[in-house]
Amino acid sequence: MSLLARILRPANTAYAHCDGPCGVYDPASARIAAEAVLSMAKKLGDLHGNDLATENTRSRFIAIKEEQAQLAKDELLILWTDYFKPPHLEANPDLHTTFWNAAKLCSQNKVEVNVEAAQALVDTIGGIHDIFWASKNRSDVPFYTAG
Amino acid sequence: MRAGFVVSAALAVLAGALFALARRCFVRYVVEGASMAPALADGDYVVVDTRARRRPPSLGAVVLARDPRDRSRVIAKRVADFAGRKRVVLLGDNPAASTDSRTFGPVRTGDLVGRVVWRYWPPERFGACR
Repeated sequence: MSLLARILRPANTAYAHCDGPCGVYDPASARIAAEAVLSMAKKLGDLHGNDLATENTRSRFIAIKEEQAQLAKDELLILWTDYFKPPHLEANPDLHTTFWNAAKLCSQNKVEVNVEAAQALVDTIGGIHDIFWASKNRSDVPFYTAG
Repeated sequence: MRAGFVVSAALAVLAGALFALARRCFVRYVVEGASMAPALADGDYVVVDTRARRRPPSLGAVVLARDPRDRSRVIAKRVADFAGRKRVVLLGDNPAASTDSRTFGPVRTGDLVGRVVWRYWPPERFGACR
């Protein structure tokens, strides 16, 4: 910025933003969806038999796993593309790789019934939780799982 | 000699008073965000007439108002409509890139900070704000 622009710069700021309807972000929503995926993967592994009732339950578990994996992906993309800004990237150079891997894990959890992949997704979101709250200078938000 | 001194002293006092008055009536702001483009662009420096607060705002005026969700924040929007006698509907000129009365409802006229009257920086954007 030129010297003149700096001298003339007003002290007050008026915001003409699109700051989203609320500006509220929290990796918790992705974590809850990922936990649902993990739970469904475990339950599907424990589900045996092919009578009608069991097939029905299996179909429902698969549908929920699919839906929640997509939800986890959507929530992660909101954090990645809306919340995180270039300055965050300086503090976390592997931010893009982290989110890319997390999004890939969501896809893998849709394609497969895989407890390890589901656990890896929850763990990856735990890492994102740490980056997120550190970026807000908050050390009072522990990562926990409901399941 | 003595008369000359009195006149210059009086002029200085008058100039000081006018300057103080102008500083109270006209406040400068820097615009952040693009929801009011092209009337206001990101980074524009503007002069705001705070006397507008005491008069009812006019339809179509670009105004600053306290954000009803966080009154320490000042937002720049356009008066799009009146909602009763004491509230105004504020909308951004770029609806797709604006958070405005569609989200937080009409704003009380008492929360208006002033009317944006002039852009003075950058030089190529110098001019009246309409």
